[in-house]
Amino acid sequence: MTVELFGIPRLRAGVSQSIADGSTLGEILLDLARRFPSLGEDCIDGCTLKAGYIANLSGERFVTDPETELNEGDIVLLMSLDAGG
Amino acid sequence: MHPTPGYHGRYLRIDLSIGIAKSVSLEASFLRKYLGGSGLGVALLMKEGAAMVDPLSPEAAIAFVFSPLVGSPLTTSAKFAVVSKSPLTQRINDSLASSGFALTGKKTGNDAIVLVGRASRPSIVLIENDQVRLEPAEDLMGCSNPETQEKLRSRLGSDFQIATIGPAGERLVRFSTISHDGRHAGRGGSGAVLGSKNIKAIAVRGTQRVQWSDQSALVRLAKELSEKSFGPATAKYRELGTASNLLTFNRLNVLPTRNFQQGSFHGATAISSEELGVVRNRTRASCAACTIGCEHLYSLKSGVPVRLEYESLFALGSLCGIDDSEIVLVASQRCDAAGLDTISSGGTIGFAMECAERGLIDAPWLRFGDGNALLRALDLIVSGKGLGQLLAMGSRAMAMEIGCDSIEFAPQVKGLELPGYDPRGLQMMALGFAVGSRGADHNRSGAYEVDFSEAVDRRNVGPESAHLAVESEDRAALMDSLILCKFLRGVFGDLFQESAEILRLVTGWNLTATELRETALRIVTEKKRFNILAGWTPSEDTLPKRMLQTAIPEDARASLSTDRLASLIKAYNLARGWSEEGWLPESETGAGAL
Repeated sequence: MTVELFGIPRLRAGVSQSIADGSTLGEILLDLARRFPSLGEDCIDGCTLKAGYIANLSGERFVTDPETELNEGDIVLLMSLDAGG
Repeated sequence: MHPTPGYHGRYLRIDLSIGIAKSVSLEASFLRKYLGGSGLGVALLMKEGAAMVDPLSPEAAIAFVFSPLVGSPLTTSAKFAVVSKSPLTQRINDSLASSGFALTGKKTGNDAIVLVGRASRPSIVLIENDQVRLEPAEDLMGCSNPETQEKLRSRLGSDFQIATIGPAGERLVRFSTISHDGRHAGRGGSGAVLGSKNIKAIAVRGTQRVQWSDQSALVRLAKELSEKSFGPATAKYRELGTASNLLTFNRLNVLPTRNFQQGSFHGATAISSEELGVVRNRTRASCAACTIGCEHLYSLKSGVPVRLEYESLFALGSLCGIDDSEIVLVASQRCDAAGLDTISSGGTIGFAMECAERGLIDAPWLRFGDGNALLRALDLIVSGKGLGQLLAMGSRAMAMEIGCDSIEFAPQVKGLELPGYDPRGLQMMALGFAVGSRGADHNRSGAYEVDFSEAVDRRNVGPESAHLAVESEDRAALMDSLILCKFLRGVFGDLFQESAEILRLVTGWNLTATELRETALRIVTEKKRFNILAGWTPSEDTLPKRMLQTAIPEDARASLSTDRLASLIKAYNLARGWSEEGWLPESETGAGAL
């Protein structure tokens, strides 16, 4: 599954895009935490995102439930929650 | 009788026409109803009858308002509000800025400073505790904000804190700012209001401190709040600054581009904070008494650091089709120096670029993507020469002058240019823009937070969600009146409950979350009342026709019909306890009934 990272998640991972294995949001997050320990430490708590971060599927909808099933071709966007400024 | 802790219990009212300053008492019950900042400011303006006068006339009032939390150890509390009727919108305007002017202004022994009248010559208002005097300012006319502040620090001493207008405010540009220490009370043209009063600067120095009701507990709470402010809820602001929104918005196709003709920008990466951070020196700064430190400064090629926020980046970048980061930084620096609101500057110039490309104005040099044209347009606004006269009025007035249905793509609500959120793809924010008391505004409504959540489908928001826009406005009204920086909002579990505890320790009032919710509603309602007196009608709670007739080109689902926006507005008004159209209960028959 393709993952695009924005804001703090990008800063922690050190990349703007990555591949992660899994068929649910939770599995993707677990795999990302393994691949990018800094991202895992600061943004991910087990199979969920910590407060202040959110995931979006292909720009279509925001999701938080780790059981959210992903479809082939989905792109997971990880971003900081707040906008503003 | 001692004033309520946290307050001095009075404000200073200066009539510039006759050169008389008067201390006016503020009853504790009045302060409890409006708190400070924006809330107290609109209440004071209502007392002055400011809604029904020309904001640039001598009769107009402008209030610099502190708050009960200013001077406390609470992080991000060193803020002040500037409240007046806007010369850009002819509606209420409250803009916030921060740092030493708030701390020292309150130490003059006043909870607010209200200016009315007009000085007979260009002047500086000097306030030192109970002493007030006007000094001539002819030698400062035409000076930029940094130059004025530097000259006045040399003349008066570094312990004076100074708020200034730049050349834009002197020339009454309708979107000029009031500046202090590089920060701005930015939106709505408060700089022009001060300029119309012949006031170039206000300098404050004082020694009067307020008491705190429970100082030791307040210090403990402040320490806890500071510790929370180092957490993940503020990491984005602290480590990247607001400019990091750009690529996220671009990815979601909600980055206003080329006067809202597109929702993504081919040059987004080139001007993004991520790229700027690689190719330029970056430093950080903080407002006084702030533990977040959201300000990120990027160096020009000359080495001069420039503050850059997302709103400046989008307005002077993608909105005008500019992909040259040096141009965006130079433009931002020129706006800061001259005292121009970057959002309205970019919004108006982007609109003019489209008008020029359509042949509606004779400015063949003004084209999207042309950085030199952007800088030239900014200079013309400040000088008032040529096209600058038209640009300085803002996009709504400019469209009215041009005609040819250009108002349909003027990027404004109530005359205030839209900030960097395409409302077609962020429809809770669309509602917030439409009903906002000061126009299209991301600070008095943070409804975009709802769009960035699972609570709604951001491209198909229905009236059942309108209460979320109400909640967002109420939270903003409370934070803008306490005052606390909104970048702190993520650290609160229950903002109203925790704010009640903060205010209890500061003032001694036994407040509840319910009372503070009522206070927030009262403040929002008072702004509406001001606007009704100023001539508001339901027809102005809307969006530009472009937003209601076309989808974002990159995202066909990002469309918002006139009917659906109307249903959102109706639901919002009913959730507020107002009529379907938005009249207050006592004004069902219209403004004349008030």
